[in-house]
Amino acid sequence: MARSDRARLSPAALRMTALLLLIALYTAYSAGPFVWVAMMSLRTTTEIAASPYGLPWPAHPEKFAAAWFDSNYDTYFANSVGIVLAAVAILTVVGAMAAHAFARYRFRFKGLIYFVIFSTIIFPPQVTVIGLFQTMVEFGLYNSRVGLVLVYVAIQLPITIYILEAFFARIPRDLFEAARIDGYGEWAIFWRISMPVALPAISTTVILNTILLWNEFLYAVVLITDDDKRTLPLGVLRFLGDQLEDVGMIATGLMIAIVPVVLIYVFFSERLIQGMTAGAVK
Amino acid sequence: MAVVKLEDVGKLYGGVRAVRDVNITVEDGEFMVLLGPSGCGKSTTLRMIAGLETISEGELTIDGRRMNEVPARDRDIAMVFQSYALYPHMSVRDNLGFGLKRRQKDRALVARRVAEVAEAIGLTPYLDRKPHALSGGQRQRVALGRAIVRDPKVFLFDEPLSNLDAALRVSTRAELVRLHRELGATMIYVTHDQVEAMTMGDRVCIMDHGEVAQIGTPMEVYLNPANTFVAAFLGNPPMNLMPATAAEGALRTGTGQAPIAGLSPGRRVTLGVRPEDLAVTDDPARALVSGRVTQVEALGAETLIHVATGDEKPVILRSGRAAQARLDETLHLAADPAALRLFDIETGRAISREM
Repeated sequence: MARSDRARLSPAALRMTALLLLIALYTAYSAGPFVWVAMMSLRTTTEIAASPYGLPWPAHPEKFAAAWFDSNYDTYFANSVGIVLAAVAILTVVGAMAAHAFARYRFRFKGLIYFVIFSTIIFPPQVTVIGLFQTMVEFGLYNSRVGLVLVYVAIQLPITIYILEAFFARIPRDLFEAARIDGYGEWAIFWRISMPVALPAISTTVILNTILLWNEFLYAVVLITDDDKRTLPLGVLRFLGDQLEDVGMIATGLMIAIVPVVLIYVFFSERLIQGMTAGAVK
Repeated sequence: MAVVKLEDVGKLYGGVRAVRDVNITVEDGEFMVLLGPSGCGKSTTLRMIAGLETISEGELTIDGRRMNEVPARDRDIAMVFQSYALYPHMSVRDNLGFGLKRRQKDRALVARRVAEVAEAIGLTPYLDRKPHALSGGQRQRVALGRAIVRDPKVFLFDEPLSNLDAALRVSTRAELVRLHRELGATMIYVTHDQVEAMTMGDRVCIMDHGEVAQIGTPMEVYLNPANTFVAAFLGNPPMNLMPATAAEGALRTGTGQAPIAGLSPGRRVTLGVRPEDLAVTDDPARALVSGRVTQVEALGAETLIHVATGDEKPVILRSGRAAQARLDETLHLAADPAALRLFDIETGRAISREM
């Protein structure tokens, strides 16, 4: 009896082991492709062709310099930073204003306007991209970074308003009324009460929009043609030839594109989750 | 310092009239309490004074100046909310100074005034804390301080004590009264708690279904309620109300009578008597009501005795701690005729006794 007890694990330890195993498997599953690309980014295409899963030894860190300086990645990076920053800034301010208005004011056709804004999210981007292309051409915004910023604002605005509106609606009305009595107008109340109190939700939308737009490929590839206006996700096109795919350089380019997003996520994921699950303001 | 005057003020939501024909004059430096059950329109009235609700009908003036169209921020009022409404992202210091900064550009003056008020209400050690790091009582103080700091013409309070525990409520009540004495400011205070109304108000305005039922000093409205609503709302337990019929030289209840003359014989009225004005008598002939004891509540300082008289509600007698009463015992209750109040049975309005 005593022997079999010792041989058997206690139920708690068993559960823990199973859980650890599950987490390890899931980590390998989700991090695996990333690690694989990271390894390939340090190897040449010839080496990869010889052994796709080989270790990056000897490493070729000079490939990053080659991509950055010789393959225009410095320009792509600057484009991505500029376009994403501009789009996220506009999205945050305009989205927050719209959310504030939807959450705080009663006005004519509010329901209809809300519906019109949200009805756009049911269309897959492949459907709207053709019409959008035509519109952009007609307004002289085709193949321009400003045009891409506007498109990014348009596609992300509904979800931004949606997230912020839900949060703004939970801010107690008394806060706004106290500020009114304290002498502040609607504009000042928006900037000095709504925005700071909603900071958890605002940072959620900022992080979410930054990551999504940083990785955005479809609209960028359709609406941008000049090489020096391309964003990072389009950088891989440079290494895709008709005859040859430079897999090693594609991996290097991907790493340059991915690393900022991973860093943002590593540093801000806690904040992101906080914002998504934040309760009412106490 | 200011006189707040409401003339025929009303509030309509869509087609629904939430407040009608409110006429109140709050004198300079007066502490006026708006009292009533929930939904009686007292908060709406306060919010109209604050400028948070538009005024549908009538006129509001502060110091003789019409305020109907003046935005909240220009009315020179301060309001303490039931939820306190502290700005969660600001420290206590910034919460106190937020309204002042808007009006006073000199930051040194703002800082001095904030420090002064914080000292006066014991908030100095907490000035750098955020509201979430404060206890309920401390938050309440910040809300109060935020109003005081601005030195407004009129203070408005919307049930400011209802989120505090019982002990803190009593001490804060006393502090508010002291504050009112020191500042000498005009204050309008909304509550559904009659103890707050009785202990704090210079005058009490009792509201019912969007209308003013009675305005008077706490003792006036307690002793001489203008109608059966006020009689039944004030006091715990409230005034005993029972039907009675006038006869020659007397007023008969179902089980007894009182020597009240002057009413035309046969007229039916509602008779009111406070529980503390009743006393047990041995003489059935002197009894105002008689009946069987159905409940005895010994509360320590006093004893409440419920007596079933055959009317809808039992008559309640408030008696000293020594009172002895057994269940099912028959009691005869008498009262000083001067303590009896009469109301019209149809309208519920008080009937003057000097007929």
